[in-house]
Amino acid sequence: MREGAVTLPVHPLQRIPGVAIMLGLLVVVFGAFAPGFLSVANVSNVLVQSTILMLLALPMTLIIMTEGLDLSMGAVLTLTSLAVAIVSLATGSMLAGLAAAVMVGVAFGTINGWLVSVIGIPPFVATLGTLGMAQGLSLIVSDGQSVVGIPHSVRDIYSATLLGIPVPVVVALITYLAFDSLLYRTRFGTYIFALGGNREALIYAGKSPTKLLIAVYAIGGLMAGIAGLLMTARMNSGHPTAGLGLEFDAIAAVAVGGTSFERGNGWLPGTALGVMAVGVLRNGINLMALPSSVQVASVGALVIFALFFDGLRSRS
Amino acid sequence: MSTAVQIGDVAHGTRNGAPLLELRGISKEFPGVKALDDVSFSIWPGEVHMLLGENGAGKSSLMKVLCGAYRADSGDFYYRGEKVAIRSTADAQKLGIAVIFQEFSLVPYLDIAQNIFLGREPAGRVPYTIDRRKILGDAKRILASIGFDIDPSVTVQKLGVAHRQMVEIAKAISQHARILVMDEPTAALSDRESELLFALIARLKADGVAIIYISHRIPEVFALGDRITVLRDGRRIGEVRPDLTSPDELVRMMVGRTVDMSYPQNFVKTPGKIVLEVKGLSTATGVSDIDLCVRQNEIVGLCGLVGSGRTEVARAIFGADRKTAGEIIFDGKPITGGPDHAARLGLALIPESRQTEGLALLRSVGDNLVVASLRKLFPSGLFWANRARRVGEDLVQQLRIATPSTKQAVGLLSGGNQQKVVIGKWLATGARLFIFDEPTRGIDVGGKSEIFTLMDRLVVEGAAALMISSEQTEICLVCDRAYVMREGRIAGHLSRAELTEENILKLAMHDA
Repeated sequence: MREGAVTLPVHPLQRIPGVAIMLGLLVVVFGAFAPGFLSVANVSNVLVQSTILMLLALPMTLIIMTEGLDLSMGAVLTLTSLAVAIVSLATGSMLAGLAAAVMVGVAFGTINGWLVSVIGIPPFVATLGTLGMAQGLSLIVSDGQSVVGIPHSVRDIYSATLLGIPVPVVVALITYLAFDSLLYRTRFGTYIFALGGNREALIYAGKSPTKLLIAVYAIGGLMAGIAGLLMTARMNSGHPTAGLGLEFDAIAAVAVGGTSFERGNGWLPGTALGVMAVGVLRNGINLMALPSSVQVASVGALVIFALFFDGLRSRS
Repeated sequence: MSTAVQIGDVAHGTRNGAPLLELRGISKEFPGVKALDDVSFSIWPGEVHMLLGENGAGKSSLMKVLCGAYRADSGDFYYRGEKVAIRSTADAQKLGIAVIFQEFSLVPYLDIAQNIFLGREPAGRVPYTIDRRKILGDAKRILASIGFDIDPSVTVQKLGVAHRQMVEIAKAISQHARILVMDEPTAALSDRESELLFALIARLKADGVAIIYISHRIPEVFALGDRITVLRDGRRIGEVRPDLTSPDELVRMMVGRTVDMSYPQNFVKTPGKIVLEVKGLSTATGVSDIDLCVRQNEIVGLCGLVGSGRTEVARAIFGADRKTAGEIIFDGKPITGGPDHAARLGLALIPESRQTEGLALLRSVGDNLVVASLRKLFPSGLFWANRARRVGEDLVQQLRIATPSTKQAVGLLSGGNQQKVVIGKWLATGARLFIFDEPTRGIDVGGKSEIFTLMDRLVVEGAAALMISSEQTEICLVCDRAYVMREGRIAGHLSRAELTEENILKLAMHDA
């Protein structure tokens, strides 16, 4: 009984992921219509501006692969960004600020994971609750004001370069490689596929879905903490609405990147391309001097168009 | 005829030494049901032991006791002659018992190798990583050992059912399983795929693996089995060898369940005109060339084993699944549209899972009773609470639904009364043909006879009914005649006089 793998013949064009085509189209359109879009300075700008989103979208991919969601990411990032500002202002140390941000982020991530896995609250509701808590705490600790006068050591992170590459881009690259290794090369990554794909199989293999889920959400919090440092550095201040709506962009990037919300079907390279697509879209609309409200609407339209496009392709 | 069917009991003395696994006097009771009653069972290495029985005979319970999912109330386990305990799935795994479930335990977006070694990944040089080369090599070797030539880095999502089953078996083998339990493994396979599985089973046998195989398909039982154990009502009826028995004898051993149900039969019905006529119906869901008709004033049974296509026929008649060929004529008019159209014409489908498909459990009895007939009751589009209440109260009285009031939430009623609410809901629409899919599932004996009485009254008053049931005894009790299905086709028709459990099973399992 010799039986080869059952693979249907695929047209070469169909091998190109939808998100890559989408990104290519956006680059072509904005290259033609948005003034200065293809300049070196602007390309660098898009890359640097996409780093925070990259830091959020990568763990969001893992969370969505477990058939979960983290709506609190933007609000938690606001809080960690404020933590960086307040602590570095008080201590004069960038590292102390980062440590505080990471602690706050991991704490929120762990609470999210605990609510979802131990208490059994649906992820949408659980993280909506922590979104409100993080947003409220942000207003309390900042008294509704921007936190200004933070040390140069924080601000410099955003403008510094390493071997000619902006530091935020280096951070994003390292983060991507770390997530890629985590998902595709470690046991933990294998179990993430099983969390969304077949939780029973995991239990049968003697692994605790509870612990794994908490870890996945905690990683989301950790990344929100690190992203908080970049955010504060970028704005040179802590602002009580700094991360507003970022969870929307992160979920959009994951969805555009081809990760489905069911059965543990996730694709990390797609998320990276999705982040770039969202970044290019926002940047291009900005260059065309359209109002920022158009950006939000267009990101929404991008998600719907991407999924529609994928559906069309998979049917044909 | 239910006594003394210990035909052809095989003496164990023909084997050398102790069996690989032996169960002695296993009993398991659930509230109200004795699922297993003093069952003994043994298996030797390199043997395929067939487990045969009707629905509810205790096959699944025995399997769950074996793999540690259930704990037996009493009885002992012996592994190679030594007494052991199976109290958890871990205990069973340690003894090398693996179950190939029908719902697969595979992760769709991991590859074959990752699935085989899930939870037991070989460690790579860097901490926490997986030794990719080793996992692929080991998987390749295990797959080769069962004769499955496939690249282990293929994602399971891309595999068909048969290949997934092979991966599942490879997974069991990799866990050093010596006893494989297969629950109707060919149920979802094509003939060619089944051939692959049978070849694999022969190979496993040669390697000394013991296989416990649950099946309804008589040809399989004879082709593969070294021994056959028949269960009925949770008891072991007998153990036979395929070369010393016949299909008819197996059927006789399976039937003869005791029925403790009083039901005022009313067979003095004169069938009226044909209400439903199905001609040459085929669907993409696996039924082909179905011919049947239902007349006014009669209850027609549609029986066969689980998976023989009964529900699919009902769904196609109701327009829930598209037909690929044939026609469905209701009251002289063809049904062409979907469920909406069928319901408007006067068809009612009372689904098997009434809790999820037939009722809004949190809403009141009254709401549930009028929900299907809102358009008829309130043509203006405005909801008049008084009229709804009156209709609800009438139906409660007419159907004798035991509820404190029409305001009671349906979920709080007993199974039998919930079923009456579903029937009442369709009665309010003026339905004239009722299709009952397993109408007594999960309903106690008292509730059952009430449901039957109600069905009887419906047809005496001019309706027609098509009843799907896995309970052969109930078909014999209630139906005026019955169609028997096997593998998506009508295998035969039984008139009232021919309607016995034995005749149904003969048609359902093999060519009579």
